[in-house]
Amino acid sequence: MSTYTIPVGPLHVALEEPMYFKVEVSGETVVSVDITAGHVHRGVEYLLSKRTIFQNITLTERICSLCSNSHPEAYCMAIEQIAGVVVSPRGEYLRAVADEIKRIASHLFNVGIMAHLIGFESLFMHAMEIREIMQDVKETVFGNRMDIGANCIGGVRYDLDDDQRSWLLGQLDRLEPQIDELVGIYTTNRSILNRTQGIGVLSPAEAIEYAVAGPVARASGVAYDVRVKSPYTAYDKLTVEVPTRTAGDVWSRAMIRLSEVKISIGLLRRLIEDLPDGPTAPAERPEIPAGEAIAKCEAPRGELIYYVRTNGTNKPERVKWRVPSFMNWDALCTMLKGARISDIALIVNSIDPCISCTER
Amino acid sequence: MNFLKILARNLALGPSTDPFPFGETFTPKGLRGRVEFDAENCTACRYCEQVCIGGAIRFSKTPEGMRFLLWHNTCTFCGLCEFYCPTHAIHLTEDWHLAHGNEDKYAMVENGLLPTIVCTQCGAEAIAIAPNPTAFKEPATEGQKEQYRHLCARCRRKFLQGAL
Repeated sequence: MSTYTIPVGPLHVALEEPMYFKVEVSGETVVSVDITAGHVHRGVEYLLSKRTIFQNITLTERICSLCSNSHPEAYCMAIEQIAGVVVSPRGEYLRAVADEIKRIASHLFNVGIMAHLIGFESLFMHAMEIREIMQDVKETVFGNRMDIGANCIGGVRYDLDDDQRSWLLGQLDRLEPQIDELVGIYTTNRSILNRTQGIGVLSPAEAIEYAVAGPVARASGVAYDVRVKSPYTAYDKLTVEVPTRTAGDVWSRAMIRLSEVKISIGLLRRLIEDLPDGPTAPAERPEIPAGEAIAKCEAPRGELIYYVRTNGTNKPERVKWRVPSFMNWDALCTMLKGARISDIALIVNSIDPCISCTER
Repeated sequence: MNFLKILARNLALGPSTDPFPFGETFTPKGLRGRVEFDAENCTACRYCEQVCIGGAIRFSKTPEGMRFLLWHNTCTFCGLCEFYCPTHAIHLTEDWHLAHGNEDKYAMVENGLLPTIVCTQCGAEAIAIAPNPTAFKEPATEGQKEQYRHLCARCRRKFLQGAL
């Protein structure tokens, strides 16, 4: 049977961000995929070297909205290494709190969008309504729904008083039963299972070959999590459970995200209850000498690595980062092979692609 | 079937969205909104200008004194200016009602003036600024702050050394 080529994207109703897939199909089946990137390239890496080290705290936060805490966090950790600044214990705990809050909101967004792509609009709205609890938490604790502005060089910019801590614990109590209910739906609902099980499969061997990261790797049996492998901030004081599944399909990836939401709720409770006293950030702006450093953290999509080189001036000489979506989207070529055209959007969404981070 | 239960419950609970703009909506304490500048407390250190990624903050020297200008349309409301301000002279209010017509865009600014003064000690021209709290061993009294505001740069140094 002869094949023909269809374009998916760069502007497509089912894609959240612009990305161009040149899909070769034979009938209804995908034969091969060619991915063209670069539609949201804004030159942020270059721009970073033209702005001051302190301005870049905000600029890195604006690279992408869903990982908007992980970027400045990794950037600040790299600068702290260069400057030899030690973050206070309270600052470390509060950084982890911000990290987990963002993770819950990001994962719920992705599983919600999955329901939307299946056409299950009422479940999509229900998932987004549950996520709204975390959005309100961000707005109340940090002052903004997406760009929370938690990090600064040497610590965090926000603090939690006793009232906020008990309010936050109350919100987690409100969230948890709703997450349990959501997990129940995603595990038993036939519309979900029929559309997502057994499609977009990435075997454990392929996952290692592509070096995929985050929930995509964990759904294919690779138990890799930066919070466990090289703990940063307060994660060395916590036991972080790393859920894995072996099926490596779209459904497994969604279930991994839901399990991680549950785990994050537990981590947040521990962090809030054990919050040590002390300062949250240094009183003075630190001097940044010449040097270079690498820092990494676990963004909602997986391992995020930052490289920063400074030359003693107030601007960094080079900032470079590698995002998890970079490896994950390459694995799409394998995941999409043999898939039906109607499943393309669902499989693309299952890696939770962050195009803005990757193309910057 | 389990989703039908949720559907029925959500129907009984009614809409979960706020009726804004026809009714009240939720504004948490600490929301980062419109920026306010307090010229009385400004030390003219210009940290806020240096950390502002949007280039929204600008200080400029004029005959009347040092002018402060913040243009809300390039402000990202990140709050770094407030965080790094040593005297809390700049802060983000909870007012998020910033939607405006194009004709009002130049009115979406926060202005401030650190006036030009004549030094009470030597008569030289200077700009009235508040002292940086780190310059004092003990917290400065209101009287000390007021005296400091009316000195030139050289006399301020003498004042801090206790030589005045």
